[in-house]
Amino acid sequence: MNKVKSLVLAGLLALAPSLAMGGHALAQDNAVAAAPATENAAAPAESAANATAPAAEAAPVATVAAPPRMKPTEGIGMPKPGEYTLQEQFTSTGHTARWLHDVMLIPLIFAISIFVLILMLYAMWKFRRSANPIPSKTAHNTMIEVIWTVLPVVILLVVAVPSIGLLADQYKPAPKDAVVVKVTGYQWYWGYEYPDNGIPEFVSNMLPEDKAKANGEPYLLAPDNRLVLPAGRPIKLIITGADVIHAFAVPSLWVKMDAVPGRLNEKSFTIDEPGVYYGQCSELCGARHGFMPIAIEALPPAQFDQWVLSQGGKPAGTAPAATATAPQAAEKTADAAPAADAKI
Amino acid sequence: MTTITADHHHDHAHDHDHHDADHKPAFFQRWFMSTNHKDIGTLYLIFAIIAGIIGGGISGLMRAELAHPGIQYLHTWAMMMDGPEATLDQAYHLWNVLITAHGLIMVFFMVMPAMIGGFGNWFVPIMIGAPDMAFPRMNNVSFWLLIPAFALLLGSTFVPGGTGNGAGTGWTVYAPLSTSGSAGPAVDMAILSLHIAGASSILGAINFITTILNMRAPGMTLHKMPLFVWSVLVTAFLLLLALPVLAAAITMLLTDRNFGTTFYDAAGGGDPELYQHLFWFFGHPEVYIMILPGFGIVSQIISTFSRKPVFGYLGMAYAMVAIGVVGFVVWAHHMFTTGMSVNVKMYFTAATMVIAVPTGIKIFSWIATIWGGSISFKTPMVWALGFIFLFTVGGVTGVVLANGGVDDVLHDTYYVVAHFHYVLSLGAVFGLFAGFYYWFPKMSGKMYNEFLGQLHFWVFFIGVNLLFFPMHFLGLSGMPRRYPDYPAAFEKWNELASHGYEIMAAGMGIFFINLIWSLAAGKKAEANPWGEGATTLEWTLSSPPPFHQFETLPVIDDTAHH
Amino acid sequence: MATLPPSPFDRDRRNRRTLAAMAAVGLSMLGLGFASVPLYRIFCEQTGFGGTTRRAAADVQVQAATGHTMSIRFDSNVQPGMPWQFYPEHRTDTVTIGRKDMAIFIAKNMSDKPVTGTASFNVTPTQAGAYFTKIQCFCFTQQTLKPGEEVRMPVLYYIDPKILQDSDNKDTQQITLSYTFYPVEQDGKPS
Repeated sequence: MNKVKSLVLAGLLALAPSLAMGGHALAQDNAVAAAPATENAAAPAESAANATAPAAEAAPVATVAAPPRMKPTEGIGMPKPGEYTLQEQFTSTGHTARWLHDVMLIPLIFAISIFVLILMLYAMWKFRRSANPIPSKTAHNTMIEVIWTVLPVVILLVVAVPSIGLLADQYKPAPKDAVVVKVTGYQWYWGYEYPDNGIPEFVSNMLPEDKAKANGEPYLLAPDNRLVLPAGRPIKLIITGADVIHAFAVPSLWVKMDAVPGRLNEKSFTIDEPGVYYGQCSELCGARHGFMPIAIEALPPAQFDQWVLSQGGKPAGTAPAATATAPQAAEKTADAAPAADAKI
Repeated sequence: MTTITADHHHDHAHDHDHHDADHKPAFFQRWFMSTNHKDIGTLYLIFAIIAGIIGGGISGLMRAELAHPGIQYLHTWAMMMDGPEATLDQAYHLWNVLITAHGLIMVFFMVMPAMIGGFGNWFVPIMIGAPDMAFPRMNNVSFWLLIPAFALLLGSTFVPGGTGNGAGTGWTVYAPLSTSGSAGPAVDMAILSLHIAGASSILGAINFITTILNMRAPGMTLHKMPLFVWSVLVTAFLLLLALPVLAAAITMLLTDRNFGTTFYDAAGGGDPELYQHLFWFFGHPEVYIMILPGFGIVSQIISTFSRKPVFGYLGMAYAMVAIGVVGFVVWAHHMFTTGMSVNVKMYFTAATMVIAVPTGIKIFSWIATIWGGSISFKTPMVWALGFIFLFTVGGVTGVVLANGGVDDVLHDTYYVVAHFHYVLSLGAVFGLFAGFYYWFPKMSGKMYNEFLGQLHFWVFFIGVNLLFFPMHFLGLSGMPRRYPDYPAAFEKWNELASHGYEIMAAGMGIFFINLIWSLAAGKKAEANPWGEGATTLEWTLSSPPPFHQFETLPVIDDTAHH
Repeated sequence: MATLPPSPFDRDRRNRRTLAAMAAVGLSMLGLGFASVPLYRIFCEQTGFGGTTRRAAADVQVQAATGHTMSIRFDSNVQPGMPWQFYPEHRTDTVTIGRKDMAIFIAKNMSDKPVTGTASFNVTPTQAGAYFTKIQCFCFTQQTLKPGEEVRMPVLYYIDPKILQDSDNKDTQQITLSYTFYPVEQDGKPS
């Protein structure tokens, strides 16, 4: 256990070399991360240290201070008290989807429900036994049966067009220069790694109630370490699960993607403006399913680069060493790879 | 089609049949080794009421916990269940056990036994003019399999299931949470419980199919069968096609858990998504299994109390067939966020929307049935009318959820909880109560109390709407399902929902008072208490019907058709 | 229309026939449930469903689509509890579509015992799975590493030029190939 603890500390020091610079101007509350409220806190740090050790070795010592931890705006990126509709959206798919929901679907379902209700109430009043003692014997009317079969088909076709368009929109892959973050769901916390920036995986645990309150953040939504992303730049999350299925979900960005062990999923989006956007695990993953929140801190691009530097990483465009830039030799085959010594 | 009269031949025969027809076996023989479809139906209904009390009681625990943010009672309950040293994690696990038990009990041990086992057994043979089910002893086996199944499920809550006692996997039992994520025998017991309940339902389904196909009285063609019989026939086929797939899926879950296979484990070349595909291949038809008999019951009641034959009988029957068929090709809309490719998602979005068409046919045909009728608002009728409207509300939110792109934010939120409780708790359950009041005089020979029945309806109606409507708001603003605690912003609607539960529970109190009062002191029911609108065969028999009915088969009067 | 009631004997025989037929239906659905395991695998391999990659023989001939490139990202995971380090030599690579290429993954056994591993894999976006073709891969077989041993494991692959004709992939600029290593017990079963 001692070894594990030292690993925790070592890992955290590697994650945030700027810790030594002191001050509370750190993007991430490392003090909280070092002492999460959970008894299995060692596990996340261990896995973090394990999985990304090679990349961590390459990380230079950072000398840049992280931007200050952003304060969330009340009611933005989080549910409002007594809210009865969707959260305000901050991605283009979010705007489209919200338009589809608010402008097409809501009026449609209200119209159908009210239409059915009015028909029922009218019939119930008009044809009550005291008013209509002799029932009609009509049991067929081909015309009206055709109408109420065809009309819903037409309505559904009208809905289907924007709906299918929205799907195509959501699946538009990010360009290859997108900021890539590897998201891993664990029982019961999230791990974030920035492979192209050389930032090894760090973990994100829920803040205990007093700490969240002290930070001015909503309890059960606020984690210690946030997923820091740039606003206005395309983002690609590659998402997997380490143990059971989790789901990475941020309602105000219209993002929900399962984190499945043994396979990778990807989700691309661009955040409109800086802010803090909260989410929660959305696939039952065991006891603390309700206690592994997500927070995305979207920074202006320059500040994001500053944050990357503060974590010992390299901002995009500076040709990080971890990425091969030269195209591979064209004639390369298996023969030309003596270095490969695994049994195939 | 519904104008059916038993022929007079039967009435003449009745007098000398009477003694034999009402000869009942001794108590143990009658209730424990029963081969009589009506007695087995009664057993199913009693079983479903008991399971409903337990499943409904569990939802009461959940609503109490969720009334306010923070952990209120969960830790105390965990200490009661797991001992005084129960940790907070065990308390959270208990929450998952509660949601799992609530789901499994309500689906497999309340709605299905009541709808198919209870009303199906009681009235399918009578409505088609058959003396009993095709395989009376198999019928008995079907019922008694439910008892060990239910005992296994309840027992699983007292043995280890991972973080704490009990199976905390959700009713969907997704791998790998249900395999590597849940050590201990609880999940094995829950899976075995599903196996046994599934075997019970498959036997029942085969029995119903055989009965309906072969045992109809002369002249009772398929296209003259009451819609309730149609609904049970379609349901039985859904059960027969869907449940074996669930059995295979959970058998592989069991071997993955215990015998080192890797059907759902990527470590051995398996895929956890395969389990979801198999589960929902069963699970989506399953929701129609729960609601179709409700459609049938409502059709009978609407026709009876409007004194009109069902409008568009053939359209109604084949709409149910269409719902059943399409129900088998839409399953992956439960998996929109698993990372499927865009074409697959588009297909499942479009296919799911198609279901709205036959559903719309049913709703409009019900309205057309009351249109021009002579409507009396007896208790069964108000429940049936409530069903139509609330099912519409549940149906239209289904159209919202069907949009794969919109589901990205609503999936696994309270919006989904609201949706399926509108179609099931307010759909299937309203159908159950409608059927219960409709047939109570026939089954018991006593009239229920009309005032208490109406009061039950209104209190229950207000209660469930306050309980479930705010859940739409919670889901839209992002509250995930299966959470024991939530950010303070969600408090308002949760508190309202919990008050809704209290009102609904009061409604259930009225129901039980009515039930006990009516059984003890209800007026004696006539053979047909509903008058000229009630045209199906059960109303030609005494209330309650003789122990053995139709020893001489009735002949269906063809000329009275329409 | 038959108006005479069938004799009880006929009815029983018909009932038994229906019972047998329905039992057969139920059993075939049960069989289908189990058969879905290989069927699902074949379906995924044939269609690239869920980002399943394709496999080609070593002597496969493909026409390179000169001038069309695709960025490939390599992602690696190790199941918690497996004492390996496992990572790609290069995080990303740019390849010419249709040209065979090789990527190297490095695995090191960090424990003092020999450990056998097996890898699961898929690509994203999932609609690219049908075009990502592997010729050789360490993931086709199990890998055993001695204590402290480090190996460089190759994947030989190409992107099928048909991807250029697929409208679903017209915006695909980067394909991510992901592996997850799992421990295998000595009897061949995963732990």
